[in-house]
Amino acid sequence: MDKTKCPPAIATEQLMHIPDGFLSTEVCAVTTALSLGAVGYSLHKLKDSLADRTVPMTGMMAALIFAGQMVNFPLIGTSGHLIGGVLAAVILGPWAGCLALTLVLFVQCLLFGDGGIVALGTNILHMGVVGAIGGYAIYATIRRFARNTGTGTIVAAVVASWITVMAGAALFCLEFRLSQSADDFEFLNAFTLMVTVHSAIGIGEALITGVIVSLVLKQRPDLVYEPESEGNRVVGLQRVFAAGVVVALAVAAFLAPFASSLPDGLESVAMRTGIEQLNKRANHSLLSDYDIPIATESWPMLSVSLAGIVGTGSVLVIALLLGRAFRLRPSFVDATSGE
Amino acid sequence: MACRPGNAGRLKGFKEHRTIVAEYIDRYGRSRSICHRLPALAKLIMAITVVVVGVSIPVELWPIQGVLVGIVFMAHSLARIPLSYLLRRLALFLPMLFVISLALPASQGFQSGWPIMMRILFRSTVAFLTVLWLINVMPFDQLLVTMSRLFVPKVFIAMLAFMYRYAFVLWDELEKMQVARRARTFSGGSLLFRWKTFAQMIGMLLIRAMTRAERVHGAMCARGWDGTVRSLDTQSQPDNSV
Repeated sequence: MDKTKCPPAIATEQLMHIPDGFLSTEVCAVTTALSLGAVGYSLHKLKDSLADRTVPMTGMMAALIFAGQMVNFPLIGTSGHLIGGVLAAVILGPWAGCLALTLVLFVQCLLFGDGGIVALGTNILHMGVVGAIGGYAIYATIRRFARNTGTGTIVAAVVASWITVMAGAALFCLEFRLSQSADDFEFLNAFTLMVTVHSAIGIGEALITGVIVSLVLKQRPDLVYEPESEGNRVVGLQRVFAAGVVVALAVAAFLAPFASSLPDGLESVAMRTGIEQLNKRANHSLLSDYDIPIATESWPMLSVSLAGIVGTGSVLVIALLLGRAFRLRPSFVDATSGE
Repeated sequence: MACRPGNAGRLKGFKEHRTIVAEYIDRYGRSRSICHRLPALAKLIMAITVVVVGVSIPVELWPIQGVLVGIVFMAHSLARIPLSYLLRRLALFLPMLFVISLALPASQGFQSGWPIMMRILFRSTVAFLTVLWLINVMPFDQLLVTMSRLFVPKVFIAMLAFMYRYAFVLWDELEKMQVARRARTFSGGSLLFRWKTFAQMIGMLLIRAMTRAERVHGAMCARGWDGTVRSLDTQSQPDNSV
């Protein structure tokens, strides 16, 4: 029996994460710095908590996600795979969940070459930070509004998974745009294709995560992560603010390209009718806030995104503060007994 | 059917359950060659340098890219990694990469985007081959220890080792579950049914995995685990706590 034949699961392995060469070095450096900061912060947060139990639990969760990502589930026409960011966060909490995803991406990059070394930071940002930490923020907010019921937990996990899949895809499109220096590229088509495909993958991921969480709640509800059990009441407030910030970021990253692309869509249709308009566009490429030739000239676009982020963030924060003033406190006794 | 020694106990057409997945991944990690004798830290840093250089070189300087590919292939042959293994791994990697990078010119109606696609193909292949070399040129646990000397936190290394230890165990369990599923259901079925089955499999695997983790944690505590990560690597700095 040839033991060196690759197992069927690997034979149908898909390239799941961003390989090296897709994004420019500058974008990779920025995303790596961001994800390094997040992972370092997660490690720091885990020092305060039950450190001795975290290592086996996180390692095992990472092994599970690694095994789960190898199985392709069918979609219409193509096949997707489970990302597992929100799942890790639901079981382990945001910080250990981010670490688990980081471990999975590390091993997949090294052992399978799935995802490049330089792009590892980007992959960690998409799946560990936006997926696990951001997903946990969304999940915790919705769960809190649902008073920690079983159904609320499931719904929260479903919504959080879908949003993080879309946010990750939108972030990738943003980074890809920022890494290209050519001006002859219409990004609208690629962006639309990407987001549409990921909305379908996101539905699959969301439903699968929902079924998994419901199964866990039925059999072992104590496995689900409870922040209050760590005895820190201030953490709740921080969690809500983190939720707002992350949702704002996702929304801004997702919507800003849409918002700036709508006039361009009409513009390009109008452009096709006249060549002098094409020339005018080429001359005004410096002023156009959509096509960015060089990174230094991407500041107009970045400023649009930043404005979106700051604006949405401040609105959300005000709304959350008002909401907290009028919201009834959830009863923690009901939360731990479960439903 | 005559009972021959090779056929004893096997159903015709039934594939034997494969338990050795790690052999597929870093089969040559423990063989002997010039590359295997180099210091581990040097190999890691060389590999990272090659990847970073390969990714940063602008596409106009394509002779340098060619030189890089030559260097990578020479490293592979120095490490006595057979070409058949390389080609087999590449045969799985390249088609998907091709399809993904083809989406770029395709979204432009095949008018433009070809230079970008060639650049992506080239860089990704160089990076993939380099990582393949790095994995097959030292054992995985030695790679982990070397990373700890490059200031990766020890907690992280401990989790990585844990994950590597149990990933294949869980993988085998998942395969057993899939065999059981195939034995009990008709293949196919509606999309929702397949999703639900898949999710239930992963959910059961999750519960079993976490229960196993709790048992392992209990066993570790019974043997003196207190959260401090200790290693036998005598060349790095002594660590005080996690």
